[in-house]
Amino acid sequence: MCTPAAGRGRVHLNVGGRVFETTAATLACAGRDTMLDTSWNASHDDAAGGGGGAAAEYFIDRDPACFAVLLDLLRTGGLHVPPGVPEATLYREALYYGLLDRVRAARLGDFDGDRLRLSASVPGRAPGDGTAVRAAPDGGCCVAHGGAVRVYNWMLDERRPVYYPGHAPVNDAAYLDAATLLVAARERPGRRGDDGGVAAFSALTGGLRHRFRVAHDRQPRSFTAGALAVDDGGGCRVFASCKGRFNEYGIGVWDANTGEQADFFYEPPGCALGDADRLQWLDGTSTLMVTTMFPRTDSSFISLLDFRDKSVVWSWSDVGTPASLEDKHAVHAVVMEDGRSVCVINQYENLGFLDLRSSAGGVRWRSRSKLATGGKTKALISEEVCYPKLATYGGQLFASTGDTVSVFSGPDHVLTSTLRGSQGGAICDFSIGGDRLFALHSEENVFDVWETPPPAII
Amino acid sequence: MMNGGGGQKKRGTRIEPFRHRVETDPKFFDKSWRKLHDAIREIYNHNASGLSFEELYRTAYNMVLNKFAPQLYEKLTENMKEHLEDMRTCIDAAQGGLFLEELQRKWNDHNKALTMIRDILMYMDRTYIPTNKKTPVFDHGLELWRDTIVRSPTIQSRLSDMLLELIHSERTGEVINRGLMRTTTKMLMDLGLSVYQDDFERPFLEVSASFYSGESQQFIECCACGEYLKQAERRLSEESERVSQYLDVKTHEKITTVVVNEMLANHMQRLILMENSGLVNMLVEDRYEDLTRMYTLFNHVPDGLTTIRSVMASHIKDTGKSLVTDPERLKDPVDFVQRLLNMKDKYDNIINVSFSNDKSFLNALNSSFEHFINLNNRSPEFISLFVDDKLRKGVKEANEEDLETVLDKVMMLFRYLQEKDLFEKYYKQHLAKRLISGRAASDDSERSMLVKLKTECGYQFTSKLEGMFTDLKTSEDTTQGFYASTSSELLADAPTISVQILTTGSWPTQTCNTCNLPPEIVSVSEKFRAYYLGTHNGRRLTWQTNMGHADIKATFGNGSKHELNVSTYQMCVLMLFNSSDVLTYREIAQSTAIPAADLKRCLQSLALVKGKQVLRKEPMSRDIADDDSFFVNDKFTSKLFKVKIGTVAAQKETDPEKLETRQRVEEDRKPQIEAAIVRIMKSRRVLDHNSIMMEVTKQLQPRFMPNPVVIKKRIESLIEREFLERDKTDRKMYRYLA
Repeated sequence: MCTPAAGRGRVHLNVGGRVFETTAATLACAGRDTMLDTSWNASHDDAAGGGGGAAAEYFIDRDPACFAVLLDLLRTGGLHVPPGVPEATLYREALYYGLLDRVRAARLGDFDGDRLRLSASVPGRAPGDGTAVRAAPDGGCCVAHGGAVRVYNWMLDERRPVYYPGHAPVNDAAYLDAATLLVAARERPGRRGDDGGVAAFSALTGGLRHRFRVAHDRQPRSFTAGALAVDDGGGCRVFASCKGRFNEYGIGVWDANTGEQADFFYEPPGCALGDADRLQWLDGTSTLMVTTMFPRTDSSFISLLDFRDKSVVWSWSDVGTPASLEDKHAVHAVVMEDGRSVCVINQYENLGFLDLRSSAGGVRWRSRSKLATGGKTKALISEEVCYPKLATYGGQLFASTGDTVSVFSGPDHVLTSTLRGSQGGAICDFSIGGDRLFALHSEENVFDVWETPPPAII
Repeated sequence: MMNGGGGQKKRGTRIEPFRHRVETDPKFFDKSWRKLHDAIREIYNHNASGLSFEELYRTAYNMVLNKFAPQLYEKLTENMKEHLEDMRTCIDAAQGGLFLEELQRKWNDHNKALTMIRDILMYMDRTYIPTNKKTPVFDHGLELWRDTIVRSPTIQSRLSDMLLELIHSERTGEVINRGLMRTTTKMLMDLGLSVYQDDFERPFLEVSASFYSGESQQFIECCACGEYLKQAERRLSEESERVSQYLDVKTHEKITTVVVNEMLANHMQRLILMENSGLVNMLVEDRYEDLTRMYTLFNHVPDGLTTIRSVMASHIKDTGKSLVTDPERLKDPVDFVQRLLNMKDKYDNIINVSFSNDKSFLNALNSSFEHFINLNNRSPEFISLFVDDKLRKGVKEANEEDLETVLDKVMMLFRYLQEKDLFEKYYKQHLAKRLISGRAASDDSERSMLVKLKTECGYQFTSKLEGMFTDLKTSEDTTQGFYASTSSELLADAPTISVQILTTGSWPTQTCNTCNLPPEIVSVSEKFRAYYLGTHNGRRLTWQTNMGHADIKATFGNGSKHELNVSTYQMCVLMLFNSSDVLTYREIAQSTAIPAADLKRCLQSLALVKGKQVLRKEPMSRDIADDDSFFVNDKFTSKLFKVKIGTVAAQKETDPEKLETRQRVEEDRKPQIEAAIVRIMKSRRVLDHNSIMMEVTKQLQPRFMPNPVVIKKRIESLIEREFLERDKTDRKMYRYLA
């Protein structure tokens, strides 16, 4: 591992008065385009080094304590922050050396639902009206509430918030990439013209990039955008459930980069598409799952759309099922990662499964009815209506119920962990991405950040 | 509270440094920029070794931190522009060939400097540039180079002229510095695809187009097609080598299109149809190499292969037509088919070797053959005769494997035939002749041919033919059974007979008047009849004397003994001479009762064939009159003990026979057409006239092309017989009557 202690390749760095001795190879670990491994250094060495025997010494006028941490990161690949070093300073220094991406990679371990640890609770600004939390691919997140989307970077510093033009109320948000945020907004009755719809913003500056407009018969129309989905499998398309002012209901499709309208899937009779509150793009089959759920509509409706031939390839609805005593309604749905079944959850927190391979079957509700939740949260639900939500990630199924998130693992979806964080009331939304889980609590508008610590050393 | 109080106390001192900083702000920027400015100058002067990277990096970092990034970016742009202006004057000053070298040197310098500047300003690159959507420093440097140097009015045209001139001189055979070309085009590519395309590629393609259009004009005037294609091929490979040497990979396709357009597409018709050397001549002379070249080259041209294909197809049709309609060729059916096979082989080879076994070419070949083979309505007969010839002589000439391949090829021709039922008819006749006369060379080959026909046309086609084989097998057994059951005394001095019992219907038998057999034979055959009818109930046995043959031992007047292999008719005639020396034609005809034509033919073969004159005829003329008399030729000699007396029988059908066969075929088709109509109507119940025509044609196509007039007649006949009726309202509709 170690090279023999020849002078060649060894580097002396005097950082803020403290001398560090390391090898050029270690500094090269930083990667190209960082301050520590620039072509400049190479050419500088060629010019100054000359003899090659003597180790060159460089002076860097920066904080030595942070440099020690970063040098340790370059040497071992692990990040260990001693108590005396504030994280903010460390990040600033890392930015100076161009190592911020590495620090982030070392800071966030690979996501594993069973090893999550609460790392931060970020208090919100406007309590009670948070509608959605979305994880960014780089570990940041955004929280939509009212007419604003608050954006946080991965260090959980708040960026400039995103406002939809006219401060229209936001229904949903989605990250196109780490720097681009899509926002779907509601059209408000009584306003004329340009209100509501979908737009792309820069997540870094909060500036508007472009609007996604809908035209019916070449006539531009304003509309209310409900849920958003992004085809990240290479199609670069954006989908949104749309409700036009003149009853043009359906799913709009746009090119993600140009914002041009690419398609519009008009709602066929019997399919509630325009009201959909959740869209999910399925890469394996190139179809879009559209779910319109109780309590937004009286009955729940799930369908799979194929845009290539504009057809509904699969659909399910509980409209015809006899009303049982308990009056169970599926309130949220997610397609499992194998693409073969849909998992649904009802307002009593029962999990159920639908088979996507056959069109006929009904919901197979799990026999083990209730998830493990305490009596205290029961009380909370009755006060604050937060319906359960579902998500899948890395072969695990996540369900938010009350103020906890339950993690189910394995092919039989056995409950393996429950996560309970802040006393912020019930969880109204949660999202997984960038190796983190964000849970938004409705009452205090606080959101919890859960992440997986790096694996133990031994 | 304590802290707050302290803050109030120190308020005065706090404001002081704040105001101080505000005052030093402009100086801070200027100072910092001066530092960077000097450093950049040193870098461009190749003096970078004395600079402290860390210090410069920190300077830039501080500037960005203090929100001077926009100014810094602006200053940098300005500064780099100045340096580039200096460089441009240097490059402008370079003369002639040194121009490119100077440009190259400066480009390298700029690149190196740019890397260092990028490193110094890396912090700005990371923070300020992405949030403000500016071009990163390095790319910005390239843009500046593009705008100030490459796109400057003095250099832009000079550069592209220089490059094009060098390429032109390379095309005319001179050697140029390819390394320099490569680095220069590499520079253009580094500046962005659009720079490469606009400043170099487009003019390059234009110049190439005019160069090749001129060259192709020159060549086409003086070169033969093959020569021209060689030239074009060479040019194409030169261009692709040029691309691989010093141009962008994407140019390959474009320059290929240009060359192909100018040299090939524009002259396509002229080249392919060129007299004395075009495609037709290449095909005739089997010039595989030229054909391969033509195929690969015109593969690039849209419609190129289609043109080649259609020219080839029409050539094949023409030659094929002249072959099948040449009356000279009709005289020898075997040669006729052999020529067809040779032609097929020839084009198969060409397509295989030169046209890379292109499916569409094979299809064109097939359809051409199908076209011209059916121009001659005797083709089915000739093909059957050819097979007959091969299967008869088969083993004598070639081994079975060769025979197999020949038969396979014949099957190819067979597939082209439209009137497959006609072939079947002839084949049946020829097969019967072969089987009965025992001249089938190899049972295996016969059967393999049968299998081929079966796979081609289905069970129905060959069931009767197979029946013929079974008949022969059972006949053998029956003959053996006959001899085993009959006591040997009864047959002691009777001639041995071998009877072949042919099922009526399976064999192409003509009803013929039985001739009077010699009494020796009659006794044996009557015994056989008794035996056969005794073992098989309810059957009828008719003797087909016209088809048999016999071996007879003859002792001539000069004492020579021979065994004569003759037909049954000939045997009957010869047996008469056991009792008398001279017989007139009339006498022979009376006592044998052989039909006149056959008798004449058989007498001709006995008396007039050179070397095999068993009889003598008086007078010695070719034709046989009623009063001609015949003697045994006592002077008959032959080197062989066994003498085979052939029948003077036309292998090929004579005209009336042909007519008869045709009539019979037409007659056979009638029930087939009717069956097809009834089959269709049974399932469809009601159908209009045109659809019936179409369906019937479709169903019968594998066997023959039904004549629409005949179909119409059959429909009429079916209506008469009340299988169908016309719809009462719509006369074009037919209704099936169950």
